[in-house]
Amino acid sequence: MIRVESITISEFRGIRDLTLDFKEKSFAICGPNGTGKSGVVDALEFALTGNVSRLSGEGRGDVSLKQHGPHVDKRNDPDKARVTVRVTIPSLSKNITIERSLKNPAAAKVVPADPAVLQVLRQVEAHPEIVLSRRELIRYVIATPGKRAEEVQALLHLDQVEQVRLGLQKIANTCEKQLIPLDTAIRQARENLLRALGIYELTKEKVLAIANAQRATLSLPALIDLTETTSLKDGMATPSPAQPQRIPKAQALADIRATREALAEIGSDDTMKRVVEVSADLNVLIEDPAVAASVKREAFFTTGMELVEARACPFCDTPWDLGELKKHVQAKIDHLKEVSRKRRAAETKIAPLIATLRKVQAAINTVVGYAALATPPLALKAAHEYDVHCRTAIERLNALLPLAETITVLANVPIIPQTILDDIRELEQVVAALPEPTKQDAAREWLVVVQERLEIWRDAMRKHKIAKDQALRTRQISDIYAAASDKVLAGIYADVEKDFASLYGFINREDEDKFKAQLIPSLGKLGFDVDFYGRGFFPPGAYHSEGHQDGMGLCLYLALMKHLQGGNFTFSVLDDVLMSVDAGHRREVCALLKKEFPNTQFIMTTHDPIWLRHMRTEGIIGGRSAVHFRNWSVDYGPTRWDARDVWTEIEDYRKESDVRAAASLLRHYLEYESAELCHRLRAPVEFRGDAQYQLGELLPPAITRMSELYRRAKEAANSRNQREIIEQITVREAEFAKLAAISKAEQWQVNVAVHYNSWDNLGKEDFAPVVKAFRDLLGGFMCSDCGEYLRVSPDRETPESIRCDCGKTMINLLKKSE
Amino acid sequence: MTTSPILEGTSDVPAQVFEKFLQALRNASASAELVARLRKTLLEDKKFTERALKEAILVEEPLP
Repeated sequence: MIRVESITISEFRGIRDLTLDFKEKSFAICGPNGTGKSGVVDALEFALTGNVSRLSGEGRGDVSLKQHGPHVDKRNDPDKARVTVRVTIPSLSKNITIERSLKNPAAAKVVPADPAVLQVLRQVEAHPEIVLSRRELIRYVIATPGKRAEEVQALLHLDQVEQVRLGLQKIANTCEKQLIPLDTAIRQARENLLRALGIYELTKEKVLAIANAQRATLSLPALIDLTETTSLKDGMATPSPAQPQRIPKAQALADIRATREALAEIGSDDTMKRVVEVSADLNVLIEDPAVAASVKREAFFTTGMELVEARACPFCDTPWDLGELKKHVQAKIDHLKEVSRKRRAAETKIAPLIATLRKVQAAINTVVGYAALATPPLALKAAHEYDVHCRTAIERLNALLPLAETITVLANVPIIPQTILDDIRELEQVVAALPEPTKQDAAREWLVVVQERLEIWRDAMRKHKIAKDQALRTRQISDIYAAASDKVLAGIYADVEKDFASLYGFINREDEDKFKAQLIPSLGKLGFDVDFYGRGFFPPGAYHSEGHQDGMGLCLYLALMKHLQGGNFTFSVLDDVLMSVDAGHRREVCALLKKEFPNTQFIMTTHDPIWLRHMRTEGIIGGRSAVHFRNWSVDYGPTRWDARDVWTEIEDYRKESDVRAAASLLRHYLEYESAELCHRLRAPVEFRGDAQYQLGELLPPAITRMSELYRRAKEAANSRNQREIIEQITVREAEFAKLAAISKAEQWQVNVAVHYNSWDNLGKEDFAPVVKAFRDLLGGFMCSDCGEYLRVSPDRETPESIRCDCGKTMINLLKKSE
Repeated sequence: MTTSPILEGTSDVPAQVFEKFLQALRNASASAELVARLRKTLLEDKKFTERALKEAILVEEPLP
């Protein structure tokens, strides 16, 4: 997607002012612990994504980007903490500048800010995984399967896939849940209909037989068929509006009996037992304040996850990172899963109580209707109140929260007020006292009531059918999605597994070239087993060493990135990711990066100068594509082994007459540079197992080697009779010898100016020629065109030439016969 | 829907999953309207909330 040209960091983390010129190439940042390497990594991540993962997310406690991102001396002035990166977008052939301040991390200043550029930058922002630290590396390897699945899913942006899966599942569940009250409604409508019909089985033949018997009483023709639209009272005269509606005596008495039965059911021992059981469950939840609060929070979080869509808080308008917020809230929801399970269990137990209450409510509604038809109408105040009571109780039990109120309502469910029984008895007496209707009136009343209940039943059946169709459809959609996503993910995991094994096999080809691995997705988890020398598949942490695990982490990351970004994997930051990997395998990692990811710009940090050399030797980075931090101070931030900076600093010390500091810096710098020279020139140095070389052990061999190389170059030119070249080399050789003589570096043991710590005795004027002599000497090892140190090529086997990185200096070392 | 030339070569895993899902829905004889609505929600509007999905799936027949 991008390549980074340069970065300028101001007052950010431990850095005061630093510019690094990557030149769109891979680049290494080397330095001891605490010299500011990770500050550069953080700055890169911040500039590209607006975030610093080291300062945010899980386990970061009270540390925050806004508060702790600025340099400690600028912690109250976040606007001063700025990072600017110059970036190239290869696909658009555009150079852009991104500038961010910690005052408002989300608002990047992008120039030019055209839509295509912004689209690419949004993609970059959405891929914070371009920055990989060792801590993150290990997450992929030795995490638990559930945690690993989360990490890999986050990397592959599967949170969106998962969110849709959960959403579809929830819709299907909700639709299925809607069927429960509709089932109850059908059952009630059927019972009412059967009661009115006076039969126990709802069959077309039986309904027609009874209905036709009633119709015959009214001399109405028999119905031939019973379809969805058939009216049982078809052809019956419509009563005139003046004719008062009467209570259908027989039906009313049957309905009053049914109401008593429903009330008896709700006051039964079974209901009481269930109420006690559910109350006990809810009391367990409510008695633990933390859990009770969690129940509330779980509902709150779940609702929040559904509603949060904007890029800012709707209350205070503070911008937020929607992805991070959702991840954060989802983590809380996951944490409350146990609470959710208990809640669902309570809801399942409450469901039959709700069904019984609905039944009672429907029965009471029916008899209340009869009371209104009485002469004079009966008020049935208690029945009305109980109807409201049932409705409120149903709503409360459905809501479940707050738990305390639900428990109170539950306790009242089995209690039947005497007043309602009195109301029903009063109505029954009134109905019983009604005169018996004529046969024709009874038939007419029967057909009216049965038709009315038949319509209610038909309506309930229609609603149920619609809901059932929806439930089936949404479940089918959910299942299809689950199958499709499983198939795609299985394919991805298979590809990643293959790539991972191939990458890891490459860096361990010496003894694990047939290495295999298994990524096993299962129910939101991702198992990861690796082959151990053909003895079977085991978790990576079982038998492989820590170094091998680091290698696996890097390879899994690279395999995932290869799949995720494909040709757009053009930039990646590897922050000290191979800390536990030995030198040999690091060299293989260099070879791997160069071979498999030739178009990716890697920014790598390491505290190991040897690995820095490996990177150079393997061609991952060029001669100038590295910075070596030498120390760090809170006032100045990191300081680097940069020739200009060092000589200026030495000169500043000298001018201030601080010869001790000037000489100390000179010595350390010469040690650093001499090591580099010995490496480049392949100078023989007395080996030290602890790799702690002093200046006297490095610089003289480098000088001797340079002189020897010039001698060999002259011999080679002589073997070809190249007079002109011999003269040129002779001039070089003489100039170099003169510089070496002036510095007296080869008489190191007697050079009191530096070696014997006699700086206190030197005045600043005395030290000036020492500085100049060594500066000139180092210049003698450089190419006069590019200013880079000369090196011997190749870096192993017989030396063939002395050359520089720019190619201007090229001195043959091989004689004609060779 | 065409892939953005800028992102060409990038494996957008969610988009792959959604495309496969829509294809499977078509194979299961889902209505063209339903598939079109889900495509708009998931791939164009990039809305993944339950509410957005519900609107896409149950638009013709609201829940009873």
